[in-house]
Amino acid sequence: MSGAKERMHRKKMRNQPSNITFSSPGWAPPQDERRWRNGGEAQRQGRSYGGPQQPGGPRPPSSAPSPQGHPSGGVRGHQWGDSARGVQGYSQKLPRYITASVFAQARAAEVGAMLRAVTKTTGSSHVFGALPKHMRRRAMSHNVRRLPRRLRAAAARVLEKTSQQKKEQSKSKSRRARRRHGNLLLEFNRRQRKHVWLETHIWHAKRFHMARAWGYSLGDRPTSKCYRACYRAMSGHCLLQDLSYYCCVEVKGEEDTLLRALARLTSKETGPTFGAAVFLSGRRQGSVVVHRADRYPAEPLGQVLFMWRPKRGPCSPRQLWLWVHPTLKQDLLPELQLVCQCSEPPEPGPPVALPVLARGSAGEEPAEAREAQRPGKKRKRSGAEGEAVVPVKKIIGDGTRQAASPLSWRSEATGIVISDLTMEILRFRLIGPLSHCVLTDTLTPATDCGPEGMTETSHLWWPEQCKDGDNLSLHHRQADIFRQLKGVCFSGEIPAGTILGLAVDDPRLTLPTRRSKTLPDLKQMQGGGEETRLLTLQGVPAECCESPLWEQAVRHNVTENKIPEQELNRMRSELLVPASQLSPTPPQSRVPVLLVHQPGKQVGEEKSSWGTGWDLLLPKGWGMAFWIPLIFRGVRVGGLQEALKHSQNKGAPHFPGDFPDCPAGARFLREQETQLVDHYRRRPPAKRPNYIKHGCLAPFRCPWQQLAEEWEMIVKEAAEEELPASEGHAGPAPEAPGPEEHRSQAAGRGEGSAPRPEFPGGPECGSTSALSDAAVAVAKFKVLRSRKALRRVSAWCRPTSARGQRLRGRAPAPAQEQEQQLTPAVVASVCETHGRSLVWTRLSLLRKGRPTLHAMICIPAPEDIQLLRVDPAYSGPQEPRHKDHFRHRRGRRRQEEGEGPEEGGGTPERLGQAPAAGSPEPPAAGLWPEPLPSVTSHCSRVLLGFVTQGDFSLAAGCGEALGFVSLAGLLHMLSGQPAGSRGLVLVRGAASLQYRFAKIDVEV
Amino acid sequence: MADPRSPVSVPASGGTARPLGGAGEVEMDPVEFTLRKRLPRKLPRRRNDVYVNMKTDFRAQLARCQKLLEGGGQREICVHGLGLAINRAINIALQLQAASQGALQIAANTSTVELVDDLEPEDEEGGEPLTRTRNNSAIHIKVFYGEGH
Repeated sequence: MSGAKERMHRKKMRNQPSNITFSSPGWAPPQDERRWRNGGEAQRQGRSYGGPQQPGGPRPPSSAPSPQGHPSGGVRGHQWGDSARGVQGYSQKLPRYITASVFAQARAAEVGAMLRAVTKTTGSSHVFGALPKHMRRRAMSHNVRRLPRRLRAAAARVLEKTSQQKKEQSKSKSRRARRRHGNLLLEFNRRQRKHVWLETHIWHAKRFHMARAWGYSLGDRPTSKCYRACYRAMSGHCLLQDLSYYCCVEVKGEEDTLLRALARLTSKETGPTFGAAVFLSGRRQGSVVVHRADRYPAEPLGQVLFMWRPKRGPCSPRQLWLWVHPTLKQDLLPELQLVCQCSEPPEPGPPVALPVLARGSAGEEPAEAREAQRPGKKRKRSGAEGEAVVPVKKIIGDGTRQAASPLSWRSEATGIVISDLTMEILRFRLIGPLSHCVLTDTLTPATDCGPEGMTETSHLWWPEQCKDGDNLSLHHRQADIFRQLKGVCFSGEIPAGTILGLAVDDPRLTLPTRRSKTLPDLKQMQGGGEETRLLTLQGVPAECCESPLWEQAVRHNVTENKIPEQELNRMRSELLVPASQLSPTPPQSRVPVLLVHQPGKQVGEEKSSWGTGWDLLLPKGWGMAFWIPLIFRGVRVGGLQEALKHSQNKGAPHFPGDFPDCPAGARFLREQETQLVDHYRRRPPAKRPNYIKHGCLAPFRCPWQQLAEEWEMIVKEAAEEELPASEGHAGPAPEAPGPEEHRSQAAGRGEGSAPRPEFPGGPECGSTSALSDAAVAVAKFKVLRSRKALRRVSAWCRPTSARGQRLRGRAPAPAQEQEQQLTPAVVASVCETHGRSLVWTRLSLLRKGRPTLHAMICIPAPEDIQLLRVDPAYSGPQEPRHKDHFRHRRGRRRQEEGEGPEEGGGTPERLGQAPAAGSPEPPAAGLWPEPLPSVTSHCSRVLLGFVTQGDFSLAAGCGEALGFVSLAGLLHMLSGQPAGSRGLVLVRGAASLQYRFAKIDVEV
Repeated sequence: MADPRSPVSVPASGGTARPLGGAGEVEMDPVEFTLRKRLPRKLPRRRNDVYVNMKTDFRAQLARCQKLLEGGGQREICVHGLGLAINRAINIALQLQAASQGALQIAANTSTVELVDDLEPEDEEGGEPLTRTRNNSAIHIKVFYGEGH
C-alpha cells in the first residue's frame, strides 16, 4: 500500500472502536478485534465465539446458524465456509449450545460499540462535512437555512460560537467611521511605519502588484497584462515611472574643496566624473560609479547620478545633488562624510535640518495658513481643529533611515555641508521618444503675476521671485526654450543629460476633461526652425538650468501653499462657464521644477538612443498634482519590472542587481537567492527541475568569486605550459582550487550554516546576521570599468571582417593595432593588470533560444564552430545528462532519520530544516550542496560567465542577454578562436541541456 | 570643408555656432574624443511611408511595399532611403513598378538630411562636448497607381 493510501486508511480508522470490552469478566477472546474487522475470518474463529461458554448450555443442531444471535460477520463467514470447505467441517467447529444471558451480554456490548461509532463524528468537524460534496454550498457557512433541516441545530450552535469570537475580535469602528478622513489618515500612517509610501502609493496600490523593498512600498508590475504594451510605450510613446524612492543627497561647499574630496571616490578611467567641465557648469546630468575613498579599482559602492547647480557668482559656494538608490545610500553617506571630513556631530543648523525635524508642525501650518486666508469659510474644518486630534497627512517620510538619525552633517575644516534630502524632491521618469511631447502638453510655463503682485509683499515665493527683473527675464528665456521643445521630433535629439529649470503653473488647472494620447504636432515641428536646431545641437545654456527648486526655502514654501484638491474643485465649481480655465491663475499655483534629459542607449551600434526620455523633478507634496495630468496625456505607467526591462533593452547594468561587486548589489543578490530558493522549495519535487542532472551548480546565484579565481588559475597554468591556448585542454584542474576555495570549503564543512562572506551572492538564506556580514564583506573580484581596457576588449570581441571594421566607424587604425596585439603575451599582461575581473557583456542569440536569469555562458568547442559553419541552422550542442549522486545519499539520510520513504512529499523541506548544526545543511533535492566543485569544468563546455538579465528582446527580435564573463576567460577564448567566428559563445539555461549560439559584445 | 554645411559647433554660452576653418581643425583627434552618432531626425510616419534600411531583408521590405499597395488599399506609397539605403530604395521602387506591368508609376525626390554627431571628450580637461553636423543624401520615391488604373 502506498504511503498516501495508508495514511488515508489510518485516518479513516482513527475513530473506529478498535476493541470491544465486554462487561462479562470471563470474556476475553484473544482475536476478537479481528472478527470486527474482517468477517471472513470468522469461520476460523468460529470456535472462539462461544469459547468460554462451551461448558455451558447445549448448542443448536449442526449447520443451522442462529440468525438472531450472530453478527453479520458470522453469517458471511458461514456462507463462505459453506462454499469453500463444505458443511461438514464447519458444523463440527460450532458449539452445540450457547448460554442466552452471556450471549446477549456480548451482543449488547457489540451493539453499544457500534452505536458509539455511529454517533462519533469522523473527519472534519464541520457540520456540513456530513453532507456530500455536491450538496454543499458556500453560503451554508453563514446561512443556516441553506442546510438540510437535520443539520441546522448543530450548525446554528457552531455559527453562534464563531460569531461570538468574531465579535470579540473586531470591536473596531464601523466602516463609515474607519473611512472618515482623519481616521483613514491615522490608519495610513500606521501602515507606513515599516515601509513608507510614495505620494502616488494609493494610485499604484489600486493598479499594481506592490513590492516592499528598500524601506518603501513600491509598484512592482501592473496587474493588467501589459508586457508588450509597456514595451511599445517605451519605444513608441511614453512610459511613466515614479522614481521618488531614489534618494537625493545634497553636498554644498566651495568648488575646489568639493572636487578634491569627491575625486577620491571616483576615477577618471571610468569616464567623466564630477569634475568634467560639462557637468560642472550645471548643464548636464552625469552618472558615475563611486568607490570607497582612494580604493579604485577595488571596492566600488554603486552608481550615482549627479547634477551641479549652475554657478551664480564667481566665488559663491556650489551645490551638488547626488541621486542614489536607497540601498546604496547607507554605504555612500559614511564614505561621503569621510572624504568631506564631516565626522562632526550633526549640526543643529538652521537652514537644512529644521523643516523635516519639525515634521508634525510643518504639516499643520499650511492648514492654519489657509484658515487665515479665508476666515470663517468652513465650519467643519474649524470644528475638527477644535478637537485637535486631526492627524497630519504624512507626506514626508523616509524608509531608509531611522527617525531620529541626523539629516545633515557639517565639516568645520572644509566647510562642506552634506544633507540628506530623501523624499524632499520627487522624481518622475518618462521613458520614450514622445516624452517631451507629453511634458510640453502637460506643463505650461508659469504665468507672471499681475502688476499688483509686484508691489505688495507676499508670503508666496513666486511674487517675490517676480520682483527681481533678472529672475523674470530668466524665466522668460526658460519658457522660450521649453516651448521650442515642441518642435523637437523625438526626445533623443536633445543632447544627453540636458537639464532645464522651469517654473510651471499647477498642471491641475489645465487638466483635460478626458484622457487622450498626446501626439506630436507636425506644424510645430516644421515651424521650429533655427532655434530648435540650436537647442538640439547645443542643449540648454548654463544659466537656464537654474531653478528655484534648488532652494530649500522655496521648496518648503511651495509644498506648504499647495491648493488642496477640494479647494480647487470648489473654485472650479464657482466658475461662470463650466469647464473653463480658472482665471486669473491662483497665486499659489506656481511650482518650480527641473527637467532632466535621460539619454537612451548610448553604447553599441544597434538601437541607438532607444529608451530616451525625461525626468521630472518636483517639490514634495505635488506628486499627485502632476501624476494625474501626466496620466491624462495617455502615458502608460510601469513599475520596477518595467524599469528592469528598460535597462535590459538599453544594455545597461541595472543598479542593485548588476553590481555584484558592490555591497548593495551583494545584498540584493542574496535576497534574490533566498526568494528563488523559497520559490523552488515550494514546488513539489516532481515539478522542479533537478539542477544536478542539468549540470547546473548554482541556479539561484552566480559564484563570481569562484569563477574569477578558477580562470586566474587556468590562465596561469596555460602561461606556465607556454602552450597556445585552446578550449580543448582548457578545463581547469578541479583538484587544484584556489586558496579561497580551500578556505570556503573548510568553512562550509566546519560551520555548516555559517555565512561565507567571501562569496557575495552566498548561499545563505537572508538572516540578518548574514546580511550585515554581506555589508562588511569585500568582494575579491572586480568588474572591469576602465574605459580604455573595455575598449580594447570590445575591439577584440568583434570578428575581423570588413563589416566589423566598417561598423566600428571611427578610428579603424588603432583597432587594427589592437587586433594584431591579441597574442598570448598580451592576454597574459592584461590578465596580470586586471586579475580576477569580470566584464559586462551583451549577448544576442543567433537563432532560437530565450536566455533566462543565471543562464551559463560557455566556450564553444572547435567542433561546435565547425558544425555551425557547415550548417548555419545548427542549433547548438547538447549537454549530456549528469548523474545525481546525491540522490542516494539523500535516501540514506532519510532512512537514518527514521522517516518512512512514503512521506516523500515533505521530505526535502524537513531535510532542509531538521539536521543538527553538526552536518552542513543539505539543500533541497536537485541542488548542489555546498561547497561547489569547480564551476568552469563542470560541464562539457568550459564555463565563461553567467547571464544576469535575459529575455526575448522585442526590440531586436531575438533572444538577448546581459551578463558578466570572466575577463581572463574571455581573452583566453578569443585568442583561441578563428578570426572569422570570433566572439561566438554558447548560452545554456539553468534548467536546460541545450546550448545555443550567441554573439558576445562588449559595448563601451 | 570650410563651408558652413559641416561646422563643428561649440556650445559656448554665447550660443553661436563656430565653424572651424581648416580641414585639419575639423578632423578630431580620435584619441581625445568619443564620437556618438545621433539618429537622424524622425518625422511622424503615415501609414503609407516606408523607410528602407540595410538591416532588414530586401525581400521582406519589397513584400511589405507590395502588400501596402495591393492588400493595404493604398493608392500610393512613399519609399524613403537615406545614405547607403538609397540604392535599395530605388531598387525596391523599380521592382514594384516592374512587377505591376505598367500599372504603377514612380516619382522620385531627393533631399539632404542634416545629421548630428556628438563628440565627447575622453578626459576631463578636454573641455565641453562638441557637436558636429554633417549632411547625407536621401531619396523619397512616390510609387503610385497612374491614371486609369
